[in-house]
Amino acid sequence: MMAWKLLWRSWRGGQLALIFWSLVMAVVVVTAVALLADRVEKALVKESSHLLAADAQVRTSRAIPDNWLQRADDERLETVQMALFASMVYSGDNNHLAAVKAVQSGYPLRGLLTLAERPFVTTPEFFESVNHGPPAGEVWVDSRLLPILKMELGDSLEVGEVTLRVTKVIVEEPDRGGSFSLFGARVLMNWQDLNASGVIQPGSRVDYRLLLAGEDSDLANYLAWLEPQLNSHDRLLSPDEAQAGIADTLIQGRRFLILAGSLGVVLAGIALALASRHYAVGQTAAVALLKSWGLSARRVRSLYWQQTFWLALAGSLLGLAIGWLVHESLVFLVRELLPVNLPQAGWRPWLVGLATGMLCLVGFALPALWHLPSLSPLAVLRQDVPVHPVSAMKRLVIGLLVILLMLLWYSQSVALTLAILAGLVVTSLAVMGPGWLLLNLARRLGSRAGSVWRLALANLWRRRGQTLVLLTGFAGAMAILMTLVMVRTTLMEQWRWQLAEDAPNHFLVNVAPHELDGVERLLADNQLSSVGWYAMVRGRITLIDGQPPSDELVEQNNALRRELNLSWSDQLPEGNRVEEGQWWEGLTNFAERHGENVAPVSIEEDLASEIGVTLGSRLTFSVGGLTFDAVITSIRSLNWDTMTPNFYVLFPKGYLEKYPRIFMTSLYLPPEQKPFVNTLLSQYPTVLVIELDMVIERIRSMVTQVTHGLELMTLLILGCGVLVMLAAVKLSMAERLQESAILRTLGSTARRILTVQSVEFGALGALAGLLAAVGAELALFLLQRRMFEAPFGLHVELWLWGPLTGALVIGALGVLYTRKAVRRPPLQVLGNLDI
Amino acid sequence: MIEANHIIKEVTTSEGVLRILDDINLTVIDGEALAIIGPSGSGKSTLLGILAGLDTPSAGVVRVNGEDITAMTEEGRAAMRARYVGFVFQSFHLLPSLTALENVSLPLELRGDSSATEIAHSYLDRVGLTARLSHYPRQLSGGEQQRVALARAFASRPRILFADEPTGNLDTVTGKTINDLLFQLNREEGTTLVLVTHEATLASRCHRRVTLKGGLLVENDTVLSGTAE
Repeated sequence: MMAWKLLWRSWRGGQLALIFWSLVMAVVVVTAVALLADRVEKALVKESSHLLAADAQVRTSRAIPDNWLQRADDERLETVQMALFASMVYSGDNNHLAAVKAVQSGYPLRGLLTLAERPFVTTPEFFESVNHGPPAGEVWVDSRLLPILKMELGDSLEVGEVTLRVTKVIVEEPDRGGSFSLFGARVLMNWQDLNASGVIQPGSRVDYRLLLAGEDSDLANYLAWLEPQLNSHDRLLSPDEAQAGIADTLIQGRRFLILAGSLGVVLAGIALALASRHYAVGQTAAVALLKSWGLSARRVRSLYWQQTFWLALAGSLLGLAIGWLVHESLVFLVRELLPVNLPQAGWRPWLVGLATGMLCLVGFALPALWHLPSLSPLAVLRQDVPVHPVSAMKRLVIGLLVILLMLLWYSQSVALTLAILAGLVVTSLAVMGPGWLLLNLARRLGSRAGSVWRLALANLWRRRGQTLVLLTGFAGAMAILMTLVMVRTTLMEQWRWQLAEDAPNHFLVNVAPHELDGVERLLADNQLSSVGWYAMVRGRITLIDGQPPSDELVEQNNALRRELNLSWSDQLPEGNRVEEGQWWEGLTNFAERHGENVAPVSIEEDLASEIGVTLGSRLTFSVGGLTFDAVITSIRSLNWDTMTPNFYVLFPKGYLEKYPRIFMTSLYLPPEQKPFVNTLLSQYPTVLVIELDMVIERIRSMVTQVTHGLELMTLLILGCGVLVMLAAVKLSMAERLQESAILRTLGSTARRILTVQSVEFGALGALAGLLAAVGAELALFLLQRRMFEAPFGLHVELWLWGPLTGALVIGALGVLYTRKAVRRPPLQVLGNLDI
Repeated sequence: MIEANHIIKEVTTSEGVLRILDDINLTVIDGEALAIIGPSGSGKSTLLGILAGLDTPSAGVVRVNGEDITAMTEEGRAAMRARYVGFVFQSFHLLPSLTALENVSLPLELRGDSSATEIAHSYLDRVGLTARLSHYPRQLSGGEQQRVALARAFASRPRILFADEPTGNLDTVTGKTINDLLFQLNREEGTTLVLVTHEATLASRCHRRVTLKGGLLVENDTVLSGTAE
């Protein structure tokens, strides 16, 4: 109770504001980041479930064993069986090799099926979302099946032995995902009709899937039971795996949020430590007074600890509230970009925020206040009573340990933690040594300059211990800010570049040679242009260096089990880079060395390493029953982000043209021309259109979300940086006030003192900015190398803006603060330094 | 009663051991007002600190009401100060974030006195600051600040009051007002007063004065008249 009273009075007196707000800022930054990350992660998991249409999915080439279903039932899991296969479907005289999917009526267990009652509609008002599959006797089909088979909704479709009625068209299946089949249009039928159709015979190639959904713990139990029973043909898909690609992008974004959050805490921690130190200095007289009244050291300790605890608790709670508001306003800003309603956050972000507040108290505030209870009461009588605060080195070590602990906890990454800490340590080292030299140099130069400069620079040198500490604080804060801004812009530039505004957003696949001219004309009529046509021949690798690949290798590599898309090009396609060997023009005497019938081939590096081939390996390809040999002459890396067609296997012109081929391309289709897809499909129903715009839109919205997050985080970090500066300036203010008062007593004008102060602060800022540029450059080097895997380049702008901004901001702050000193009568300043 | 026997205080400096107090013997009886006078650096404040239990001597014994405070731990001395002692300082030592009323009531609150505010109020009345209860130190003149400090010192009803140059920071007229108030309260409360000053007029208002010079007690005499007002 007494502690509360004292706390309230100190608060009212304004001595605690800086400590309080530093703590609040630390908690705000961390809470906002943690809440956002938690909710986005939850949304991601939920969305991934939609991509599987379940919480988990088992894929197998055999019928789902009964005991799997029984066990799932025992574990209270919902199940749905599906079978996917290619089958001829008929309507009158027309037929089509369709991609049939037979589902039990519970499909989908997660997410929704989007249907329409008219083909090729694009406006959502015609859409209908359902959480079940077609009833027995009905099928739902892709729009393009209707023109292919020249039929309409309501007509009958024969699948094997059964005749089913087409009742709806499919707009979107939750689990269609990124795998696009070159087989025909989708036909979704009921599981009950499967047997009657008789299409599945022993030996048929069928992809069976078991969809599972239920409580996390039940599912985990079940999967633990199931996994040992899976063989190499079976595959278990969890939400994480389903979305590996997008998850990578998000992980990068999340890493940045963690980085920004951590840096915010580090800055707030520095501000807190400085503010606490200032508070402790101001409390010396109060503690001596309390002790002269007979309060024991234990009672004084208890009073101060209670006050700091309640202050930290109040600060943390306020920080949690503001952190929640910050994250809510962010969610509000980007609500339209969020794919689903964000799930509520769990308890962890709140705990992280609260723990941050308390850890900041332990790491930054308590060490500065630790010595207060042991102060001698004699200080009430004498100014020269020695005060023994915890040494700066010990405070530094404690602060660093707490920072280390927090960084590790937030990032769960030793590399990231070490990179940030290295930045800090390097900056400190880069400040202390060169800072001393620069100060000395400045003083020498200043002694030759006018009196204002001489006085200002001599002041810095005279207080070099303090100046170096301030320099470290300023330079550290600025280095972190610079690092942050540079990383943010670098990261965003990378993303923007990857997703150019007019990046191709549609792939046209399966265009037959005789359709090529027609499709090209149709594109031209609609003012559209493709990135160029790529011919593809479907072929299989049958021998490697004359030997059939081992069963084990085939088992492990999909590329050896299926047909590959082989293509040819004289030019090295955009986004391709030859990593080993020579592109065609660099090959000499190839035909003489390998024979007329052997082709040179270029292969993608990951595929090469997966199937164990190198430069010079001989591959035998089988295309439509004909075989030919090829020798690997180059190994390429591909940039998949360009959204243009990429091929694992490329030949020069003149080798594949004799085989049956199809064509593909990619093109940019502006949103207002979206109906073109329908025009194209109704004229060329066998062309497969892959609508990447949907995928791109999702990635872009995620990037935008993350960008907004970064902007907000940067603002918070800037706030933390300002707190550090205020605390640092305040710490040195008593001495500055006194000096200014003495100078004025001796007849110096207020204007002159202000000039001296601004030069002094400005020089301090310029030095800090210069040193911060060094520190930031080093931290960037580490971060770019270890985190963002980006090449390193020197950042010239840092070296210019660092000193300039430092001089302006710190100089302005100095003048702003010292104006108060100049306005106060010297006697008042000299008589009462208890500020 | 305060008894100081053979008090020696030495400090170690870069130039060797410096003796600040040299074999001081002194007794202050209950209700007595004692002035310690002497030039700057003679050890007055050091002696005051040792007599009040704020500091310990290098040798010698100090007894307050029969208890040997030099043998006590810091905690023991703190308890002794809480029981018997009050202070008035040259630089007032008011807490800047507290109002006049709160500055006076704080020591009472810390010892758990439930009527702290009422007592503080009445003492501020007695020093003539009824109209200044909610003012902060920065809003008060030097004389008013010292009056608050006097009210704070007496509100705790100490048996012994130690005053270190109580008017050292005040002009002569204000200083006289404060002195009058100090001795008036001292008389009304029946407090033992130990006062450090270099003002002869202030010292002359005490029952007795001792003079320190170079750490030695060179005079120990009784003021003839007007003792402690």
